[in-house]
Amino acid sequence: MRPGRILWLAAVVGAAACVERATAPATCPAYCPSGSLTVVDTMLRGAVSRDSAYRGYVPAHHAGVMLAAALPGIDSRAIFQLAPLGVRVALGTDTTTSPIIGVDSLRLFMAITRRDTAAHNLTLALYRLPHGIDSNTTFADLAGAFTDSLAKTVNIDSLLTRSNGKDTVTGDSVAVDTTKRVAVVMRLDSSQAPYTSADSGTLALGIRVGADSLASIALTVDTIRWFVKVDSIHGSDTTLVHKLYTRGVTFRSFVFDPPPAPFGSMLAVGGVPSARSILRLSVPRAILDSAQIIRATLILVPAVPASGAPADSFKIEAHTVLADFGAKSPLVFDATRTDTALIRIGATDTLSIEITNLVQFWASDTLAPTTVMLRSQAEGANLAEIRFFSSATAASAPVLRLTYAPRFPFGLR
Amino acid sequence: MMRGNGRTGGPAVGVLAVLFLTAGPPVRLTAQDSQYGIRGLGTPGRWESVRARSTGGAFAPFDLTSPLMEASLADAGRLVAGAMEGASYRRSELAGTTASLRETRFPLMGLSGRVFGRLAVSGGFTTYLDRSWDVTIRDTVVLRGTPQPYTDEIASDGSVADLRLAAATRLRSWLAVGAGVHLLSGSTRVSATRRFDDSASYQRLQQSDEVSYDGFGVSGSLLLDVTRALRLAAWARSDDRLRARVGGAVTAETDLPDMIGGGVRLAPSPSARLAGAVAWRSWSRAGPGSFNTLSWSAGMEVGAGLGPFRLGVRGGQLPFGPGATAPTEFGIAAGTGRAFAEGRGIIDFGLERLQRSGGGLEERVWTFLLGLTIRP
Repeated sequence: MRPGRILWLAAVVGAAACVERATAPATCPAYCPSGSLTVVDTMLRGAVSRDSAYRGYVPAHHAGVMLAAALPGIDSRAIFQLAPLGVRVALGTDTTTSPIIGVDSLRLFMAITRRDTAAHNLTLALYRLPHGIDSNTTFADLAGAFTDSLAKTVNIDSLLTRSNGKDTVTGDSVAVDTTKRVAVVMRLDSSQAPYTSADSGTLALGIRVGADSLASIALTVDTIRWFVKVDSIHGSDTTLVHKLYTRGVTFRSFVFDPPPAPFGSMLAVGGVPSARSILRLSVPRAILDSAQIIRATLILVPAVPASGAPADSFKIEAHTVLADFGAKSPLVFDATRTDTALIRIGATDTLSIEITNLVQFWASDTLAPTTVMLRSQAEGANLAEIRFFSSATAASAPVLRLTYAPRFPFGLR
Repeated sequence: MMRGNGRTGGPAVGVLAVLFLTAGPPVRLTAQDSQYGIRGLGTPGRWESVRARSTGGAFAPFDLTSPLMEASLADAGRLVAGAMEGASYRRSELAGTTASLRETRFPLMGLSGRVFGRLAVSGGFTTYLDRSWDVTIRDTVVLRGTPQPYTDEIASDGSVADLRLAAATRLRSWLAVGAGVHLLSGSTRVSATRRFDDSASYQRLQQSDEVSYDGFGVSGSLLLDVTRALRLAAWARSDDRLRARVGGAVTAETDLPDMIGGGVRLAPSPSARLAGAVAWRSWSRAGPGSFNTLSWSAGMEVGAGLGPFRLGVRGGQLPFGPGATAPTEFGIAAGTGRAFAEGRGIIDFGLERLQRSGGGLEERVWTFLLGLTIRP
């Protein structure tokens, strides 16, 4: 190709190359557009109305953990029942069964999923409870058993100081995993957990927690392992056979005293059975329809200090609802439409919950109910509760604070 | 005019034409930007082909592919289609801050030809006002008792096109007249974005909309051949109002200018041509911050056939600016062209250097121009 043509080609390609970089710093007002973005910040007092609280969403027996606490003002005890062992077991591969004639020992496998690390001399006291405990069982129903049926006491802190966390004399052991979960294995002998063939080996147990102070834990019970003696009847052999059988939990819950106090005119979030509060918000249509929300804050004034174990700071979530059916309003479980705030036990500071996501959602869907439901993030797994003044208390009523931008004046010169 | 060298085939012309004419989306048919247009209606287009712009605009009144005048269409012998592209590299200095900006625009496309007898018609579009700009503003606002720094970005992308339908005829051998109607139409995509430094507390604010524009204008022009070598041109144009609409509702109405202009071309020999042009526009009707403008240009074209050389200068005022007087501009341009496909296609190439100043702002612009003319 001749040099002249190459130059021509270069010139054409260079001129035709599409390039774009149009952003320049502005000096206002001389070289700025005549319109500008404006931001308005306003407190909408009276925007919250028809607010109320409801309890009973997650009862103790549906909670993911059992709560045991011995704190000033609250006494909570874990209770659980294990699957029956049965009276006869199969020793071979045929259908012939042999009778259980006694128990050598048992091992109860538990885990402490949450505890106050500032608590010292943390002890678990295991009690035998009457069979037949259920969701209707109350603290008072078991007061007697928790007084006179102590099976065993284990000092967790003491075990943690031992080699491998094991007491070779009692057979109890503990181990802490990477998630700070404390696995507890409690060994029981036949006197501490007797096998009763009339009950098919059913066991109902309860746990109280103790410590020098701050005794509050959440725990789970996994299984129990029975080491039993079985009378073999194969042919003329009548020797005893020692076998291991594992059983799971059929019911678990916790009972506590005192029971939750009535709400009165207050809003409440948390506790057990868990409480939620519903608030209806009135956001001016002019704002929802025409403005862009850049920050929305729901301001709540606590009526009493947040209650619970000192280590039980908890998050409350603000959800919007699919439809407003009052207490039974179905929540929108969508991370982009959920906002949270942390509650510290004992705090009385005014609480601000950022609900920008919710208000923006209402702006995008004008048919959505402008209703907020407040709930604890770990419902039923925490005794902590906070109560707020409702709109019935005008001086401390919930307030919605909105920061928004009115529509930019497009189309002006 | 150039002649073809007769060494390339016709199909290449069609391919080039299709590629070029479809290269730019219609909404981007904008001319070179300027920050002077941000507070005004925009940056007015040039209404010049690459050939005319390479002479500083001096040949625009006499160039049938430039949509400035209609009377020049009377010299159209056969169908002519043309389009151009411009790539600008702009450096602006304002209050000690320098910015380097780049834009690529497709400001002109047209079709013209003689329909019967001496009557020639033309249709096409060119940029009337370029409204593409993008500015960032850094500031602080007190929200909830705390100063919140933020960055605003306000951008406009689009233009107002001048859709022209023109006709011209030669009444005498020495006199040609033309007239045209102009539909002004276009839109801009406008967006305003605010980013707070504290993005965790204050979400990004972003609003956008589409603003459409419409208007109407008429124009007339004549060419007078005083001698075989001397040709005079005169033109006038009047546009009514530019209406801005958002969502169908009129948000602004702005008076548009009346314009008059003229030119002279001297061709002492077939291979040398000199020209000069002047134009006056009553942009001050557009409201505060607007000024009447007077612009001038002078240029020459030397050579014919394979490689004509073009050179020109231009000067004048810009219609919008923040000061008490209109900003000014001065530019020089040069270019050349090359015919191919037995003269059925012409590629014109130009380079323009502009300098604008006023109101504390200095702009220096290099613009590469590329034009394609097809004569099937």
